[in-house]
Amino acid sequence: MATATNSSTNGEGTGVGWWRRLRISPKYIPMALLTLVACAFAIGNPNFISPYNINTILVYAAPLLMVALGQMCAILVGGIDLSVGGMISFISCLFVVMVPRIGAWAYLLCLIVGVVLGTINGLVLTRVRIPSFIATLGTGGILASMSMLLAPVPVNVPASHQGLLVVVTGSYLGIDNSLYVGAAVFLLFYVILRFLPQGRQLFYVGSNIRMAWTSGVNEARIRTLAFLLSGLGSALAALALSASQFGSNPYLGTPFVLASIATVVVGGTALTGGAGGPFNTLFGALMMSMLQNGMNVVGVDQYFQQSILGLMIIICVGLTFDRSKTPVIK
Amino acid sequence: MSAPAPLTPALPTLALRGIRKEYPGVVALDQVDLDVYPHEVLGLVGENGAGKSTLMKVMIGLVRPDTGSMALNDEPLVLLDPIQAVEHGIGMVFQEGCLIPNLTILESLFLCHELQFRRRGLLSRRAMREEAQRVLGQLRLQVDVETPVDEASPAVRQMVEIARLLWLSTLYRQQNPILILDEPTTVLNDEERATLFETLQTLKQRASVIFISHRLQEVVENADRIVILKDGRNVAELVGAEAQAARIEELMVGHTFAADRYREHEQYAPGTEVVLEVRGLSKTKAFAPLSFSVRRGEIVSLVGLVGSGKESVCRCINGLERPDAGAVYLGGEPIRAGSPSEAVRRGIGHVPVDRRSEGLALAMSVAENINLLVLDQLKVAGFLAPRLETRNARKWIDGCRIKTPSTRSLCATLSGGNQQKTVIAKWLSSRVKALVLDHPTRGVDVGAKDEIYRILRGLARDGVGMLVMCDTLEEDIGLSNRLLIMKDGRLVKEVDCAPDRKPTPRDVIQHIV
Repeated sequence: MATATNSSTNGEGTGVGWWRRLRISPKYIPMALLTLVACAFAIGNPNFISPYNINTILVYAAPLLMVALGQMCAILVGGIDLSVGGMISFISCLFVVMVPRIGAWAYLLCLIVGVVLGTINGLVLTRVRIPSFIATLGTGGILASMSMLLAPVPVNVPASHQGLLVVVTGSYLGIDNSLYVGAAVFLLFYVILRFLPQGRQLFYVGSNIRMAWTSGVNEARIRTLAFLLSGLGSALAALALSASQFGSNPYLGTPFVLASIATVVVGGTALTGGAGGPFNTLFGALMMSMLQNGMNVVGVDQYFQQSILGLMIIICVGLTFDRSKTPVIK
Repeated sequence: MSAPAPLTPALPTLALRGIRKEYPGVVALDQVDLDVYPHEVLGLVGENGAGKSTLMKVMIGLVRPDTGSMALNDEPLVLLDPIQAVEHGIGMVFQEGCLIPNLTILESLFLCHELQFRRRGLLSRRAMREEAQRVLGQLRLQVDVETPVDEASPAVRQMVEIARLLWLSTLYRQQNPILILDEPTTVLNDEERATLFETLQTLKQRASVIFISHRLQEVVENADRIVILKDGRNVAELVGAEAQAARIEELMVGHTFAADRYREHEQYAPGTEVVLEVRGLSKTKAFAPLSFSVRRGEIVSLVGLVGSGKESVCRCINGLERPDAGAVYLGGEPIRAGSPSEAVRRGIGHVPVDRRSEGLALAMSVAENINLLVLDQLKVAGFLAPRLETRNARKWIDGCRIKTPSTRSLCATLSGGNQQKTVIAKWLSSRVKALVLDHPTRGVDVGAKDEIYRILRGLARDGVGMLVMCDTLEEDIGLSNRLLIMKDGRLVKEVDCAPDRKPTPRDVIQHIV
């Protein structure tokens, strides 16, 4: 059935239909790719598949997955959230500053702040009607500077309060808690997108916003919801990151802007919106994390790693992106 | 079908032979022949869906025919894209215009061909301005060439497009360019129209013009030759001077007014209770205040030419446009204007004319499209239940006889007819009280048309009030209980269409034009 996705293009302009002749459904390409890359690294260095290293990969993937799940919601409705970097920096600094003062309530406070900031992004988009690319570029800048004002130098959670971080730093049954948290966040996004009407409406809006509007879907509310979820994802990632590092710095979130977008598209979610889902993003996060880790394990030159990562992003998207929806690739 | 004997003895400039184009589920063109002779105005007429636009797109290289051939001055011609068509002197002025709004007239004229005006490596604005004035002067157009296109009137824009095509044909040294004008008069007022017709006669001296219009009288008065298409086939060719609008109308519609094609025997006598009522609704520049009502189980057809305002009326009812005055009532209760979600929540559905851009999420499954409006009813303990989703989708797929491999197939993979049935199924599952159908059978094949008529008759039996706009007058008459005729933004006439006393298209057409 999934092969039909590509046959709808009248065969024009796809240029990547060759796998159809191989009779492989595009649905399984991500899986195949993940296995292939894992095998390559394992051959390069058998330690790559040691339980210890696999744990390292997963622990690294967890916060990335959280930001990327949020980013995916923004991308699903046809937008993009460039404020995730500033958001993660700001919320993690806020968390570290607040923990000594309000204890465990800092977790709740940070989640609420994430949701509120995400909602503001959504409202700037839908009420002030500024494209999300610009709107979140603006709010992201504001948040980045706010985090520098909040914590001009790297800050740490005082030893007296580090017990509160066990939610992330501890382990249970020999598995790091951060993996449980990551799994729980994945489940949360999965349930929202798969089993709530509002989650389904994200797809309608992203797939055909005019149709959604004429069918009575409150598209402004749904797009705001998407950015709210993105804020929530960033807040969760900020908490996971600052807890695992026992502290924060105002530049913590910066790399996550591009990393989250790369994760989403590597997973196969189209930047044009409407197609993709949590499982795609899970795959993307695992892939990104595995590439980062694998290159270190097999000893790729540090300076060369970015090139390979860039190349892999292009290859992954080339293989997973469904071009049938977009006549013109911008 | 054999090619009609040419009425002009000369060799055709452009000859199309046996052109066939098939889209999923529809044959748009079936063995169509067309000759364009030098120095003539060729009128091309046919109802919506007769294949005129597809044929024109074939001529300008936008659509490649499945079979058939083209020849330009007796030499085989294969067009891969519109640029090649322009190089061969074939160009089209689209109905909606295709100039870039934020460029000036000058820039639009020479767009992508500016290198002609290179002086010492730089573009000479002055040379361009002089050439522009010369080119526009040939069409006797007095206009400041630095005016931005979006500030120019539709008439001026049209002339600019014509001038551009003429200029390009001289650039590519084409002796007898072919200009296709698609419904050029719909955007013009009477005076501008007269100017255009004068221009057409001048143009004839150096070009061939293909003139497409729904206003048959215009075609008769201005075309040297008239070609009539119906259902993607050639039906007749007439000499312009000898033709009569009424005769063309007959040929366009076809002689056989088949009584059973619209399932008329299933036509349901409407109840007395009013479902949908429009009171004093008006919108400036679109339509004057009008009132009408649709009763339970009644199919009311809104009839009129493009520009009669009927589309705008429907959009106001669905909340897609905001009227200036008046209101829409559903079951006697007023509906908040300008809000599609309010209209949907209250039970007014909308089957759009362009199902791909307004009706469906093509990249989503049939089930997801059908269930869009009823997600809240498919929940167990607050969460969507896949089992209920599949059951609801399956029910309406069966009810509307949508041919799909599975509930999870993507809508993009269905044929036009099945896509349309999916749109209707979406509204049926939400139990609408009133449904506005904008050309419900456009671009679907005969079998799917009959299926859609069957569904609409079933809806009427269930008491849904429907307002339709159809592709053909014949369909309007056959399908509906009542016709409301609109002309120039006014409701001019109401015609009863009881099953045994259907008026003929000729009875109705006099009120429309």
